[in-house]
Amino acid sequence: MEKAIALDGATKRFGELTAVDGLSLEIGRGATVALLGANGAGKTTTVAMLMGLLEPDAGRVTVAGRAPRQAVVEGRIAAMLQDSGLMPGVTAAELVGLGRRMYPAPLPVEEALELAGLRDQARRRVDRMSGGQVQRLKFALVAVAGADTMLLDEPTRALDVQGRREFWSAMRNCAAAGRTIVFATHYLDEVEENAERVVVLARGRVVADGPPARIREAGGRAVVRFRLPAGQALPTLPGEVAREHGWATVRSATPDEVVRRLVASGVDWSDLRVSPPSLDDSFLALTGSPTTTGTAPQTTPGTAAPVPTPTTAPEEAQVR
Amino acid sequence: MTFHLFRLECLRMLRDPRYLALGVVAPIGFYLLFATIFGGSPTQPGELKGTVEIMVAMAAYGAIWGALSATGPRLAHERSSGWLEQLRSMPVTVRQLLVAKLAAGLAVALPALVLVCLTAVAAKDVRLAAWQWAALVPAMWLGTLPFALLGVVVGLLVGPEAAFPLSYGVYMAASALGGLWVPPARLSAPLQDVAHTLPTYRLADLGWRVAAGHAPTWADVVVLAAWSAGFAALAVLAQGRRPGRARTGAASAATAG
Repeated sequence: MEKAIALDGATKRFGELTAVDGLSLEIGRGATVALLGANGAGKTTTVAMLMGLLEPDAGRVTVAGRAPRQAVVEGRIAAMLQDSGLMPGVTAAELVGLGRRMYPAPLPVEEALELAGLRDQARRRVDRMSGGQVQRLKFALVAVAGADTMLLDEPTRALDVQGRREFWSAMRNCAAAGRTIVFATHYLDEVEENAERVVVLARGRVVADGPPARIREAGGRAVVRFRLPAGQALPTLPGEVAREHGWATVRSATPDEVVRRLVASGVDWSDLRVSPPSLDDSFLALTGSPTTTGTAPQTTPGTAAPVPTPTTAPEEAQVR
Repeated sequence: MTFHLFRLECLRMLRDPRYLALGVVAPIGFYLLFATIFGGSPTQPGELKGTVEIMVAMAAYGAIWGALSATGPRLAHERSSGWLEQLRSMPVTVRQLLVAKLAAGLAVALPALVLVCLTAVAAKDVRLAAWQWAALVPAMWLGTLPFALLGVVVGLLVGPEAAFPLSYGVYMAASALGGLWVPPARLSAPLQDVAHTLPTYRLADLGWRVAAGHAPTWADVVVLAAWSAGFAALAVLAQGRRPGRARTGAASAATAG
């Protein structure tokens, strides 16, 4: 069976900047996959190539075994792009109704609105909707396509906690219906809760690919924390130890060993807690530290690699 | 598809109070005002009655704004708001979008045209032969085409902040110079020469000729067609120069994650 999405050595350059660099990736039908990466990692460029909005300079991109634009026209794939806007002055139902007319095998308008959790807002004007509702309406425009594959590029950006929760609940309905969902994000918690597979991108390449739990372990270290009265000496522990305000924090790849030695040492510790590696740590470890790559989240645009103009280096032009 | 885009474009215009005020109510109001003040003055043989002359001028005035405002400021706004970006990710072409916009521009030009005429009949006792009405309304309606095309050019080239004032400024200037406010016969000779080249004057002249019982002149048709062709060519150029696929894609990648 053909893959929902296949990229084979896809490369896209903007002037001197290589936004996507020989990216190879296959996503099977029905999967829910997160594309995780810092700003400038190439997520949006990848999405644009999958929608046929950008042609790769090298390599091959197919969607459901077809050229991307063909897949868009046939309603095989639909996307929620970043920075898209909606037509003001019409109602949610009218707008989704317009979307419905564009596709060969669309969902009914009511169903798309229902999936997006907008059933009660069907008659509300687009320009009178909250940010969260607008975002879900964009999702309804994707849902109405009835496409096998949905691409969501940072769908919850600029949403508050409640908005994000509502959004993901809508999306999970679609995933449950067997659709392939690929979403780009830099919110790590969203990845944990919503994806079965994580593809970590950095500098336009895949740097890690696997289930969230494995990604978490790939570069991360567990955290062992306990109370320790000031002045108490510690035995040698396998990890990086920090002491502060009566607490000791040990970051270690072998938390079991830390605890064993701690128990054996006879030190007067209390309130022991062990947490698994954080995805944040793994992510930073996988994508490289900001000082060496210039693309990690902490980097300010001014410190990014020197590039001639924003148009030739679009990914670096981001100010957030 | 294009039809449904067109239908939504019309719907949102009809819900827009600014369009209703400037594109429907204002021309009717101005007609009543001017027809009351100037409509009663005696006319020379062969001249149109004031109430009829002003009816045609104000019908043109309202129709032009409908055609221009549905295209220019809206398209400019949609380029920056991300609606065009949204459409690009859907199976719709730029051509379909522009055709829908143009059609909507023509469609929302019609209410002012018809309502000013109806007001003239109802309030100022204007009477024309049936054939004159049947010729006047469609001729003037088609005559708004250059303005809808001008709007597309403005929408493609000008930013969202400038598009409305620019459209409105051009509209007012061309209306005044084209003799919609002051009968062209009272303009000075050099200004009359200018007026005769303008689509505003030629649009109204279509109506004035028919109302006087004549056919529109070839000059009317040629001038309006020339402006249409010119604006259409500009629109095609602007569309080509505008970020096509590649550049808009790059621009969206600029906000990449």
